[in-house]
Amino acid sequence: MMTSVPPRKTWWKSKKTVKVRRSYSTFPSLNAWEKFRGLLPVDGETNPGVGLGVEEGLLCQMVHSPEFNLFPNSVVFESNFVQVRRSRDWKEIYKASNTMALGVTSSVPCLPLPNILLMARVIWHQGQSQTWNRPSTVPSINLKSILPLKFVELQIWDHHERILRLRTVTEKIYFLKLHPDHPETVFRFWIRLVQILHKGLSITTKDPTILVTHCLVPKSLCSPGGKSELVQKNSKGLQPSESLTHLMAQGESEALSQIFSDLHQQKQYSSSRSEKVQINKTSSEKATPCEDSIPCTCDLNWRDAFMFGEWERENPSGPQPHSLLSTLAASSRPRLSLIGGNSI
Amino acid sequence: MAYAYLFKYIIIGDTGVGKSCLLLQFTDKRFQPVHDLTMGVEFGARMITIDGKQIKLQIWDTAGQESFRSITRSYYRGAAGALLVYDITRRDTFNHLTTWLEDARQHSNSNMVIMLIGNKSDLESRREVKKEEGEAFAREHGLIFMETSAKTASNVEEAFINTAKEIYEKIQEGVFDINNEANGIKIGPQHAATNASHGGNQGGQQAGGGCC
Repeated sequence: MMTSVPPRKTWWKSKKTVKVRRSYSTFPSLNAWEKFRGLLPVDGETNPGVGLGVEEGLLCQMVHSPEFNLFPNSVVFESNFVQVRRSRDWKEIYKASNTMALGVTSSVPCLPLPNILLMARVIWHQGQSQTWNRPSTVPSINLKSILPLKFVELQIWDHHERILRLRTVTEKIYFLKLHPDHPETVFRFWIRLVQILHKGLSITTKDPTILVTHCLVPKSLCSPGGKSELVQKNSKGLQPSESLTHLMAQGESEALSQIFSDLHQQKQYSSSRSEKVQINKTSSEKATPCEDSIPCTCDLNWRDAFMFGEWERENPSGPQPHSLLSTLAASSRPRLSLIGGNSI
Repeated sequence: MAYAYLFKYIIIGDTGVGKSCLLLQFTDKRFQPVHDLTMGVEFGARMITIDGKQIKLQIWDTAGQESFRSITRSYYRGAAGALLVYDITRRDTFNHLTTWLEDARQHSNSNMVIMLIGNKSDLESRREVKKEEGEAFAREHGLIFMETSAKTASNVEEAFINTAKEIYEKIQEGVFDINNEANGIKIGPQHAATNASHGGNQGGQQAGGGCC
């Protein structure tokens, strides 16, 4: 049972440094934003991700709570699912009050891709909205597992029924149907996430066009311009989750950033009442000079501090020290790779 | 449910020694002969009572397989107790204890209480590791020792609860700084206010509690 809830963080306030040029040309949910218009919460809820139940949700609140204190600086993208099994039709395995919260996050906030899958069982009280982040009566939520995403395969299994298939390397398979209370937009975000996990982003080593020779992010420093903050943070003493997150850096997982960025871009879009979706970033978003830089690569002198000089690709077939997950691949020619956008 | 303290445990040891079965037996009081290989971490929790205080055990069941080992190491820190498990019917799992122990000592806080568990004690006919060997190893390395059977539930409660009692005693003795969460101990909301004045009452009776 979740017993404590940490102070709520506003995502865009906690996001500090990760900025890359993005292209949204392949992002299907932009059209969905049209449908989503009007569903934005009106009063007191400024973050559409929270309104959609995908950000700062129950799972996030639980793993960030003092009881777990896991990945405290990482965004969690989450939704509520119903576990189903295949027969003639999809059948629910558990009672309607018993759902599964599924989320992804990063052990280190500045990783370009999420690397952690979170699964929790949620038992709701009768009549509760099962996608609402802040129900008046907190449901019973029990964290069941933390899985490294490199040992998990996520697939869109039934688009019409909004079913994901989650398969682990140990061949455990779950069919998870997005909770009917979630709007279609949320499923589109999962589609987007699956795409990103399969194909990577152009700043990750999954993109073969990028030649990566070195890890450019030291374990302890990966916040451009945020070093002093980091030192202050670390000086507070060891936290239980410190070994998971190593030395916490400011910033956000880039893939999650993109998804949430879309949410927040929609907020801007909504408020401006523009009739057309703006694919390019707004001028206000281009305010910082670091925009085109690869995250965490502003100071190349950092490479001297690396414990792991060579970048190792995420490869489930071979053992990889977990500590390597705290490193961020970056291109040795970032400018070249980013010219023309970051399409997947 | 409110608790006075929360203790974080990790369960470590070679693959197939019965770590997940021990957890299931302790939290759900059941035995599952075939269990999926654990990846990452699976969680269990149960409330127990020590010295009249409600204590929540938050148990992290880790992967034993070598390919997941590097990940397992990440979860040691911040644990107040560890159950280091070997299989009495597999000598190799006993031989690997030193490596597990080195890992645990290297990546955890120095005060972590470690309980050495020789599991599958119900399989006496297939025993490869004598109980005396387990006792000697524990004595040599300053561990608590028990033989258990996740199948018959023999000593399972005792293994978890005795570890908690040891942690509780260390709290009473002032060995653990309970305000430092890196020690794997958290003060529950009901106890936070009175924390400063707790006395030197050691030991205490335990009673099993319900699942959380």
